[in-house]
Amino acid sequence: MATLTRQDLNFGQVAADILCEFLEVAIHLILYVREIYPSGIFQKRKKYNVPVQMSCHPELNQYIQDTLHCVKPLIEKNEAEKVVVVIMDKKHHPVERFVFEISQPPLLSISSETLLSHVEQLLRAMILKISVCDAVLDNNPSGCTFTVLVHTREAATRNMEKVQVIKDFPWIVADEQEVHMEEAKLIPLKTMTSDILKMQLYVEERTQKT
Amino acid sequence: MDDLYLDNIDEFVNDQNKIVTYKWLSLTLGVHVNTAKQMLYHYLQQKRNESSGTPLHATYLVCGKCVENGSTCHKVSVVREDKLDAVKAKMDVTISVHVYSVQRAELKDSSPLYNTDYEAVKENLKNCNKYSAIHCAAAVPMSSAGLQRAQEMALVPPEEKEISKPGLNENTSATSKPSAKQPAGIMGMFASKNASKSQESSKEVKTEQKDDSSLVETSKSKTASKATPMSNFFGKSAQKKADEKPNKSIKEETDGSSTATAIMKQSQTSPKSKIDIKDEQSKVSSALKVESKDTRNKTKRPEVVDSDDEKMESQQKKRRRIKKPQPDSSDDEVVPDSPPVPNVQTPSPKKQVKREPVSHQEEISEVKRRKRRRVLKSHTFVDEEGSFVTEKGYVSESYSENEEEPEPNSQAKDSSSLKQSFGKREEEKKVKSQKKTSTANKPTKQASIMGFFQKK
Repeated sequence: MATLTRQDLNFGQVAADILCEFLEVAIHLILYVREIYPSGIFQKRKKYNVPVQMSCHPELNQYIQDTLHCVKPLIEKNEAEKVVVVIMDKKHHPVERFVFEISQPPLLSISSETLLSHVEQLLRAMILKISVCDAVLDNNPSGCTFTVLVHTREAATRNMEKVQVIKDFPWIVADEQEVHMEEAKLIPLKTMTSDILKMQLYVEERTQKT
Repeated sequence: MDDLYLDNIDEFVNDQNKIVTYKWLSLTLGVHVNTAKQMLYHYLQQKRNESSGTPLHATYLVCGKCVENGSTCHKVSVVREDKLDAVKAKMDVTISVHVYSVQRAELKDSSPLYNTDYEAVKENLKNCNKYSAIHCAAAVPMSSAGLQRAQEMALVPPEEKEISKPGLNENTSATSKPSAKQPAGIMGMFASKNASKSQESSKEVKTEQKDDSSLVETSKSKTASKATPMSNFFGKSAQKKADEKPNKSIKEETDGSSTATAIMKQSQTSPKSKIDIKDEQSKVSSALKVESKDTRNKTKRPEVVDSDDEKMESQQKKRRRIKKPQPDSSDDEVVPDSPPVPNVQTPSPKKQVKREPVSHQEEISEVKRRKRRRVLKSHTFVDEEGSFVTEKGYVSESYSENEEEPEPNSQAKDSSSLKQSFGKREEEKKVKSQKKTSTANKPTKQASIMGFFQKK
């Protein structure tokens, strides 16, 4: 984490770093809790001083990291409105959508000394909420896959299409089928507000999953 | 007692979808832990009798004596409700069973349990054992002078202790069974070495699977490569690979068995023993405290029973955690933490004494220090058939305390913090992407689908 002593530090970058780290952990945890992949590939690691389950599969990890690497510039510029982890059944119809609504407060300032530990605490709470989300969600059918969608404000994605941030990792406009879900139930999970970051996590779930 | 607490618990569990552990409940409501346990029990009874509404899941803490590998041990485990009877049946004597937590979600692993307790304890750090059943009058924070002394002393023992390790390794082959589902870990080594001593000494020594540490040991005993156990700890030799293969198979076995027996474990990377102190095994620890007093005649121990209990409890939890707090408190010392194994420490009572203040002090002040610790590392490679193989094994690694991630220069691949690896890769990719943007005008070698859109 960059030191916070200099005034001209790019707070947007710091916030984006924190958020992308968190999203990586959150995505792994969602994959674990919703049983998208067998639990054998997951390993316990420590983040924010608590154990979290992370996958060991190199290609999966690389995919998630590349995804978030491309999302990070959008977050820095505050152009990303939502990051959505969509879980789809075998026919590629979404059954669940974990929506992370992100916004940055207009006056970004890292003034308080306890800010980061406070943010850590909030992120820990988010992780805890994801761990227990299976209490409020129905079981998914077998053979589900996942994908990550990013909703941006305005037309920021046009730039993304032209410039490949990572080679051979292009982003494309999502299909209507993946974006919209029929008969969706909304289940809020957690909201967090801090000086550098505001995030809301909720799940849209299809009423009939099988 | 008024029944308001039932409503409170109901609100926590059903409305807020929280995990209510007894420790969290005791800190939240300001009651003694035993009262909290009873509250949870009554709540469960009431809800089960109603037999309506949302299903509830509960976890229980079971302590008892059982016989493993031919020796009795005291076992403490957190089990899911559906596995409770099976675990109780396995024990010869069940000493205590109580409700550990109540929640709506069916937990897949124990991390959320730890998470809830972490927050509660963190808020009440100064007096988190106010309601605890574990007490020790002599447990007081050290003065700063004492801290200094302990720090210096802590730096001296590590080499000596590591040298003593290989000698002890040879004993594992005698006691540990390669296919043992709960292989006797390092604790087993010490227990076997002093088999003449009372068997109680080996009780919590063998509690939860410490198969992480034991994996290394059992694999070594399997391959009968006692010659260079030290190299296994320190070097990345080919032998390590060979060791990792049996490690992996044992690990899978134990993983399977651990889920089967639903012995919930905390991760190896769970934080400091500070938190361990405030642990739930109050009865266990008090029982063990009594026993430890008997066996303690051999070693000089400043009565920092808290750290004893904490060590004991730490090993009662996840097997992997045995490695982390160990190095934390004793600089990569592979010595059992529990008081009832003083036999091993008789050769080095002084070191033991030093370790106690060290461990105690470390809980209080998180002093930055370089240590060695054994870390579970994943090693991904392509095997003969061309398939990816990821193996997990322990590698000794130096690190600095107070850091969430190991030093950047460490060999860490997967086990380094995400941020770190993410950050590193990010740097690489930033460089890459910059190069790419500069060469965007030149045609790329590979026709990507984006080229289709750019033609307009």
